[in-house]
Amino acid sequence: METIAIPAINFAPIMPEVILSIFAMVLLLVNVFVPSEHKAYLGYLSLVGLIVAGFTLIGGWGVPLSAFNDSVVRDNFSIFFKGIFLLTVGMSILISDQYFKREECNLGELYPLLLFATVGMMLMASGTDLMTIFLGLEVLSVSLYILAGFNRANVKSNEAGLKYFLLGAFSTGFLLYGMALTYGATGTTRVVKIAEYVSQNGVVAQNPMFVIGMLLMAVGFSFKIAAAPFHMWTPDVYEGAPTPMTAFMSAGPKAAGFAAFMRVAIIAFPSLKADWSDLLWILAVLTMTIGNLIALNQDNIKRMLAYSSIAHAGYALVGFTAGNAEGTAGILFYMLSYAFMNIGAFAIIVLVGKKGEANNNVMDYAGFGTKHPVLALAMAVFLFSLAGMPPTAGFIGKFYLFSGAIKAGYVWLAIIGVLNSAASVYYYLRVMVYMYMKDPVEEFDWMKLTPAVAICIIIAVVGVLLPGVVPAFLLNLAQQAVLL
Amino acid sequence: MESALFYILSAVTVTGTAFAITEKHAVHAIVYLVTSFFALAVIFFLLGAPVVAIFEVIIYAGAIMVLFLFVIMMLDLGHPERARLPGIREWWPALALGTVTLASALALVVSRAPAISAPGKAIGVKEFALALFGKYGVAVEVISMQLLFALVGALYLARKR
Repeated sequence: METIAIPAINFAPIMPEVILSIFAMVLLLVNVFVPSEHKAYLGYLSLVGLIVAGFTLIGGWGVPLSAFNDSVVRDNFSIFFKGIFLLTVGMSILISDQYFKREECNLGELYPLLLFATVGMMLMASGTDLMTIFLGLEVLSVSLYILAGFNRANVKSNEAGLKYFLLGAFSTGFLLYGMALTYGATGTTRVVKIAEYVSQNGVVAQNPMFVIGMLLMAVGFSFKIAAAPFHMWTPDVYEGAPTPMTAFMSAGPKAAGFAAFMRVAIIAFPSLKADWSDLLWILAVLTMTIGNLIALNQDNIKRMLAYSSIAHAGYALVGFTAGNAEGTAGILFYMLSYAFMNIGAFAIIVLVGKKGEANNNVMDYAGFGTKHPVLALAMAVFLFSLAGMPPTAGFIGKFYLFSGAIKAGYVWLAIIGVLNSAASVYYYLRVMVYMYMKDPVEEFDWMKLTPAVAICIIIAVVGVLLPGVVPAFLLNLAQQAVLL
Repeated sequence: MESALFYILSAVTVTGTAFAITEKHAVHAIVYLVTSFFALAVIFFLLGAPVVAIFEVIIYAGAIMVLFLFVIMMLDLGHPERARLPGIREWWPALALGTVTLASALALVVSRAPAISAPGKAIGVKEFALALFGKYGVAVEVISMQLLFALVGALYLARKR
């Protein structure tokens, strides 16, 4: 009998994924034996998993390694993004317990699904093969469809899950079709090999199949990062999904989408850089402008932050358009800061909200500043950072994104970005006006600050203010992590 | 002959899919989809991928479409009380498409053409398995986990409260 040579397996590059998968499956099993009033312990166990995965990440910094026939890689780029994902999931888990207890949801399946979504995001960031990237995106998407519809008793949550599922499946089709066409044109799915093939056979760059493949992939990734005109799902899904999951979705999967999009565009399609830069220019302007304009007259704060999240994807696309070291390092820095400020803001929304997703309007924040000055101050910090005011991380991030665009010669793009940023101040300040300048309508006596939520808010405040004051350390890391 | 067959079968696939989309009756749409899957399977065979061709028939035309039919029967969308044998006017396109596919497959069998049209050799079960569990090992593991968690999610969403 003929023996089959088993290829050498090196798990080191995907160690965090392996650990999180094991934890997710253990949580599924343990879940059966934990009575429903003690489900919070599952959350602590998943936090342990995240911390262990985080430790395995740190060792790989600066030591690039690829495995499984170059289908996954461990480089600084993927490690930086994986750090963002771990942080995002950790903070979302911290605010989940209180919210889902209030909404009387069964938490048992939540934590395994969240960890599994993280595995998907990590595969997207570390995949160097179109197949791996696609599978990562699918793993993430399937978990997200369920998480968006997790609050089964709430009609809006059901709507969010179904809408996200239908539109997401449709956009996945675009992505996969683009990958298939690229494979057809180049005969390989490895991102490095695609670039090699194009540099050896220059004619393929003019092949319509190759160009359409790139465009369709851009559509698929743009959907995931919620860039206009592929943003239509965002407001409904973000409004309907359970608040902690909205926090997670707005920060984690967006960063994962950027990671995969950047790796494919920068490594596989350097030959078409002029084309995709033009494309991204249009996407960036549309995304910023549409997001900010519609956010101006939103009353529901989750919906407002959904449109603001579209606008923030636009700012990051400015750095992507630039395509230089400053711009791409700016994206990495911005995605990290955005996770801190956005999840921080959502933590406050979880606290202020009432059962059944009530009390989520901007008007409901009237007098919050006098009743809970410390929490209102934290919210103000997050909103200032989202608006891009110094001395917050949001300001530094935007500064790098726009200065990258100017250095690459996209002066007009930077000007449009700054104008958009100025317009966005209106709707962030509106919340603050209600918090500090209106008389309280309610006593906010239902609010209960649990230690977990408090820790999440403290992490977020530190994460927003510290890089805002001394950005050098994080910027340094981001610059070491760029793909160029 | 291969290239002629390819174009004929592609036309069958596209026509079958177009009918599947435009057909109002759900069961009819599924029959057209099955027809197009069969044609697609023969195309895969022509391209030198007999294993994928078999999968297309067993999994897509077989298992998944039968699942669709079961769901439609369970949901009672097909108006079973008005069930009758459909007249030839309703199903001749499916018959025609199916006949073309069958004729193409038979032509292939009779001419004993080696399953090659693309440069390179036909990929059999062994090569397929080696690639699947060697080169794409990590992908197989990820897919298996994804199925597990899709199942968990489906159970969670569909469970009685």
